[in-house]
Amino acid sequence: MFEEVLFKNRRPDRPATLDEYRQSGGYEALIEAVKQRTPDEVRQLVTDSGLRGRGGAGFPTGRKWGFIPADAGFPRYVVPNTDEMEPGTFKDRVLVNIDPHLVIEGIILSGYAVRAQTGFFFIRPSYELDAQLIEREVEVARQAGFLGNNILGSEFSFELVVHRSAGRYICGEATAQVNAIQGNRAHPMKDRHMASDGLWHRPTIVNNAETLACVPHILRQGAEWFKGLARTKTGAGTKLYCVSGKVNQPGCYELPIGTPLREIIEGSAGGMMPGSELKAVMPGGASTAYMPAKYYDVEMDFDPLKAVGHRLGTAAIMVFDQNTCLVAATLNLMEYFARESCGYCTPCREGLPYIRDLLWRIEAGEGREEFIPMLQQMARHMDSSYCAFAPGAAESVLGLLKYFLDEIREHISQKKCPFAEAYRPHRKLWYPAE
Amino acid sequence: MQAEIAVAEHPREQAINIMYAVQGHYGYLPDEGLLEAAELLDLTPLELEELATFYDFIYRRPVGKYVIHVCDGVVCWMFHENSVFEYLCQKLGVCAGEISADGLFTVLPTACIGFCDHAPAMLVNGRLYGPLTPLLIDEILEKLKTEYCDLVVCK
Amino acid sequence: MPKLIIDQRSIEVPAGTKVIAAAEKLGIMIPRFCYHPGLGSFGACRMCAVKFLEGPVKGIEMSCMEDARDGMVVSTTDPEAMEFRQYVIEWLMMHHPLDCPVCDEGGHCLLQDETVSGGHGRRRYLGHKRTYHDQYLGVFVQHEMNRCIHCWRCRNFYQGFAGYRDYGAMQIGNRMYFGRYEDGPLESPFAGNIIDLCPTGVLTDKPCRFVGRRWDFERAPSLCLHCSLGCNTTGSARYRQMWRQEGRFNEMVNGYFICDRGRYGFAYESHPERPRRARVAGLEVAWAEAIQTAAEKLSQIAATAGPAAVACLGSARSSLETQATLQRFCRALGWSEPRYFSVPSQERQVKAAIARLEAPLAVSLREIETADFVLVVGADPVNEAPMLALALRQAWLKGGAVAVLDPRPVFLPFEFEHLPLAPGDLEAALEALTAGAGGTDLLAGGSPWPLLPKIAALGRRLTQTQRPVIVCGTGIVRESTPGLAADLVLRLREAGLNAGLFYLLPGANAFGAGLLSPAGEGLTPLMEDLETGAVKALMVVENDPFWDYPDRGRLVRALDKLELLVALDYLPSPTVQRADIVFPTLTLFERNHSSFVNQEGRLQLAPPVHLGGMPMAQISPEKHPPRTFLSHIPGGEPRTPGEILAELAAAMPAPVTLPGDDLWDWLSRKNPVFANIVSLFESPPGARLIPEAVPAGTFSPAAAPAAAERPPDYLELLLVDLIFGTEELASYSKHIQPAEEPPRLRMHPADAAKLRLSSGDRVALRLLGGTLEVDLQVAENMAPGVLVLPRHRQLNWRLAPDYRVMVAYGDIVKVEA
Ligand SMILES: Cc1cc2nc3c(=O)[nH]c(=O)nc-3n(C[C@H](O)[C@H](O)[C@H](O)COP(=O)(O)O)c2cc1C
Ligand code: SF4
Ligand code: SF4
Ligand code: SF4
Ligand code: FES
Ligand code: FES
Repeated sequence: MFEEVLFKNRRPDRPATLDEYRQSGGYEALIEAVKQRTPDEVRQLVTDSGLRGRGGAGFPTGRKWGFIPADAGFPRYVVPNTDEMEPGTFKDRVLVNIDPHLVIEGIILSGYAVRAQTGFFFIRPSYELDAQLIEREVEVARQAGFLGNNILGSEFSFELVVHRSAGRYICGEATAQVNAIQGNRAHPMKDRHMASDGLWHRPTIVNNAETLACVPHILRQGAEWFKGLARTKTGAGTKLYCVSGKVNQPGCYELPIGTPLREIIEGSAGGMMPGSELKAVMPGGASTAYMPAKYYDVEMDFDPLKAVGHRLGTAAIMVFDQNTCLVAATLNLMEYFARESCGYCTPCREGLPYIRDLLWRIEAGEGREEFIPMLQQMARHMDSSYCAFAPGAAESVLGLLKYFLDEIREHISQKKCPFAEAYRPHRKLWYPAE
Repeated sequence: MQAEIAVAEHPREQAINIMYAVQGHYGYLPDEGLLEAAELLDLTPLELEELATFYDFIYRRPVGKYVIHVCDGVVCWMFHENSVFEYLCQKLGVCAGEISADGLFTVLPTACIGFCDHAPAMLVNGRLYGPLTPLLIDEILEKLKTEYCDLVVCK
Repeated sequence: MPKLIIDQRSIEVPAGTKVIAAAEKLGIMIPRFCYHPGLGSFGACRMCAVKFLEGPVKGIEMSCMEDARDGMVVSTTDPEAMEFRQYVIEWLMMHHPLDCPVCDEGGHCLLQDETVSGGHGRRRYLGHKRTYHDQYLGVFVQHEMNRCIHCWRCRNFYQGFAGYRDYGAMQIGNRMYFGRYEDGPLESPFAGNIIDLCPTGVLTDKPCRFVGRRWDFERAPSLCLHCSLGCNTTGSARYRQMWRQEGRFNEMVNGYFICDRGRYGFAYESHPERPRRARVAGLEVAWAEAIQTAAEKLSQIAATAGPAAVACLGSARSSLETQATLQRFCRALGWSEPRYFSVPSQERQVKAAIARLEAPLAVSLREIETADFVLVVGADPVNEAPMLALALRQAWLKGGAVAVLDPRPVFLPFEFEHLPLAPGDLEAALEALTAGAGGTDLLAGGSPWPLLPKIAALGRRLTQTQRPVIVCGTGIVRESTPGLAADLVLRLREAGLNAGLFYLLPGANAFGAGLLSPAGEGLTPLMEDLETGAVKALMVVENDPFWDYPDRGRLVRALDKLELLVALDYLPSPTVQRADIVFPTLTLFERNHSSFVNQEGRLQLAPPVHLGGMPMAQISPEKHPPRTFLSHIPGGEPRTPGEILAELAAAMPAPVTLPGDDLWDWLSRKNPVFANIVSLFESPPGARLIPEAVPAGTFSPAAAPAAAERPPDYLELLLVDLIFGTEELASYSKHIQPAEEPPRLRMHPADAAKLRLSSGDRVALRLLGGTLEVDLQVAENMAPGVLVLPRHRQLNWRLAPDYRVMVAYGDIVKVEA
């Protein structure tokens, strides 16, 4: 049986305390780092470990840290990203609630590696209780000497500030997050290089919380060990898979990265719900395309998914069954994306509502054949928007068109949603009178 | 609050926190609160309004004591479509955004709240609830109506 | 210099040029909404998508975001790029109300153009259109939010370029709203630029609302005369009346933008009381009769009292053609040289400034944007030369620093250091800085002057810069201050810095007036000649001493002594009203080409916008053109002063023909700087009328009368400018008048405390000419020891005996309600 790494301090009812974390080797990596390793060594180790960002884009973490120019000035900032507003994704919430100090240590280490002075723990308002938890534990870590001035007697000083968001999906995007922290409207800034020109024009590194949680383990147990955790050749480490939808045991599971989809669903997630057959999954949150059942055996890692034209994203696996109308599901997603669009660029601001309108018409039985090429073209053109939000939003539409075109056509030809009947069981629960 | 801003290296960074604090005081962010907050932050009303209207959890109109954020994310949707929403509205006799007659509740749709493994889910007073059933909703509402509980507000 | 290929044509452009700009050089206009050369690239609208076929960038990308680089092969007509752009325009038009027939932008609307060029001809979107509430944004800008395409230009200009903070973007997604927090006038005096920038009809020109389509207007390049910067504009006229001014690009002067004073000050041109007919003794007479009468009377006085008894007063707002012709006219008739300033101190300041301006030193407004340090001495940019404030902001945005030495409560739309020094101290500061730049340790002498440490710190910063610019005003400073500013610049240059010099002058063509004024002490001040009776006839050409001259009582007494007052003007000024003979003249917008020299010596040409004549609206208020047909232009009698002077010369009992040779040849014989002029038609940024180097001793600034120091218990009264309400021409504009703030007297809290006054008090100022009542505003950010009073249209400030007056404490009293 695979031994959990990030979740090894999991307790049924509460987060691990500092002592419990330390008993499992917590903060050893930090102690060793500030005493015996240079920041560059820490970064090199992370680079060697093959760790790739867990926030969605999968960018190699060590390389990102290395983008800070050698002569860049101070202060520098790190931004642990716990916005987690990608629908279907809840791994960072679970992680923070299992082992807050693991995340905190990871953040401090990333700060050490890039010689930053301050971290902004960016967290969404739905996670207010988690924000309070982190605030408490940050204080505990400070009391223990892991945060503040001259950490553990070294030259390294680091502060961690919890920065509360007021809730917008786009705030998760790294450059928009920088704007958000500064108290500006959270529009992305694609013409600025965060590594030299981020928060208040200073070098800034944005990393996902899960990414950072891997760092203490890499430092303690080595790059090779971390690589060896993966089930794929090109992968490294474990991965937190969030499984939701029509499975028996939805939840967040830590597994070696590259675990095949089938194993995740049938093993950890307890298989499909009674009466449900797998129709499609979104492999990595709402910004990844539907992946039909034929890819049931794909290894859930960045490269294998890429090879079949899909994306690991946040590895939030949303499972759709045969009774779920994917036109309606996509419509739901478009409502979401259109509402959350930051409004900066035209394709996203106006194009997504346009797509929503077409899907709404199709779902309502007012669809026309000519909507299909329009959907196709518009979804494809989302690639030319300002940031990665709209291309992500378009993925569900493109997946729908690629794999479930017949389902769309059925809506059009029948002039209604062919799944209406299939909803009955749910509706009974909420509208017993019907 | 003034003290916090005074020591802050970048006062604007405090904008959201200040709006939350003012919102905690008034229950929502009324015009007068926005003007106070702007003054504290040395921002113009427009500059703060640019932020206030950007976000989901800053309420520029009055809301009930508890704002029920019903997840309309796709996972929850596949279990209930809009039923939770409709059920709540019907139960409380309100439309989205309105305040229930007892002044306690406002129902708002919101983005996936990260409780998808308990879909369908909702967020009330900082806590996540799910999987929702009509029964569970009734219980939650009843509890909120009858028991005192500390308000969880973003600080 | 990168070389790239766009649509099969190759072009080489300077590094840093965006592909969209490189294409423009080839004459390829890539569609755009958010990009504007004056604002830069934002990547928001996605309209400028092109396909990169080869090179460092591949695929569909935004041409406004990519720097031109070697090896790029770009197609603007690639089918995929065209399809994308077609969708962008379709998306933008989803909610557009298509109310083009009632939209003022219709006909010159970028959205209309791009809709056509984008190939979007048929509406496919079946949903409802979004609607918004509009806001009241003040008297200049009309708001129609439904038309908005969310290109961000207005906010990018308003907050980003100009630095004002009351207009922006609210809401999110496709609900985004561009406006103010609540209804109210836009606070920025540069707000009008968002009208020019808005690519559709959201923000339109309110005074020009529903007046016509672009093609209905007569349009021509023009100039702004409302301060000395000489910003370039495009004028629009219809029905014999100016309706609109827009910013016009001049790479050396204003860039793309202008201020609201320049945009809306033009309406003096259609002032209902503007003189349109020749008048003698208050009665309208035939033109020829007025010429005859004037010629006879003038020559009669010249004959009986001698030619010196006839004086001419030109102005700092007339064109150079008018100023020069007046001089030629006086010489031809043997009269004394014309003066151009009614206030002698102004003349001395202007001459002191331009005497020191030489080519290596002088910087243009545009060059200020690249300065790394700007020291502003005795100037209040927003109020005296508004676009200077924006140029300074651009320097600041690029990392430069700005320090202002000025007693007034100066506001600038960015962070700057303000040392509020009284006018006398400005000179001491300049002298100290000059000494410091020569390596002297300012603090070594142990001067008791409390501000010295600050000045010394400033001096150290100054010497650490590379490209500093000294800006020096001529409004409130002593007459020797401009010279001291030049000394500092020279000293900094000696120290190896590429220092520049930038003066502000009192008047759109004060430079020309200064060039033509006699050097040195010059003539006896006009007022003295009037008072002694040495001058018996005065011909005033486009000047109004009633506007400028501080001591109204003295002016009236002096004019009363005259036997004859002849006025040539287009303003219904008090001078025109009391003149015995009036000749109406043309504004720069009408029928004539006129040139003006801005404060850095740049000669610029303003062609006519229309032919002149009485505005249709004043003849036919029913708003439709009259149906009678005439062979002449009604109200078309006004002529240029040049024409009038020639007629007068010819009508003299001993007729004089003005020399027939070219005015410019004549000028260049007089002063070699005029030889620089090439055809202004071929030189869009204008031609500089300054010498390569000032020959030593050629111009010696008039020695300033020693500045009397302020006695204790006195405050120095400073008469200052405001953006609206103090500038002569704009004050006659009905568009500007409603934007004027009520005039207020300002003083430092320390002085207010001594006088037991506070903000909001009504204060009576006892001045030599009488008592002036005005509301008080106490301002922290100004120098103690001074009173700041605007020379406001609505204020009888001319009770002050001079531009520099000391007011005793006892003469400042609170008026009890
Ligand atoms: C629209 C959008 C939303 C995003 N939301 C999140 C988020 O909630 N959390 C996160 O960690 N990364 C998010 N990202 C990815 C971030 O931009 C960034 O790549 C990531 O935080 C970097 O961390 P990593 O390298 O550790 O993955 C989002 C990206 C986009 C385009
Ligand atoms: S794609 Fe454009 S509108 Fe959408 S979130 Fe990104 S920048 Fe904003
Ligand atoms: S108001 Fe005009 S300039 Fe401003 S965003 Fe809308 S269309 Fe663009
Ligand atoms: S800055 Fe001066 S010249 Fe320029 S537009 Fe304004 S008033 Fe006219
Ligand atoms: S979809 Fe509802 S909680 Fe995630
Ligand atoms: S002009 Fe290039 S994106 Fe708007």
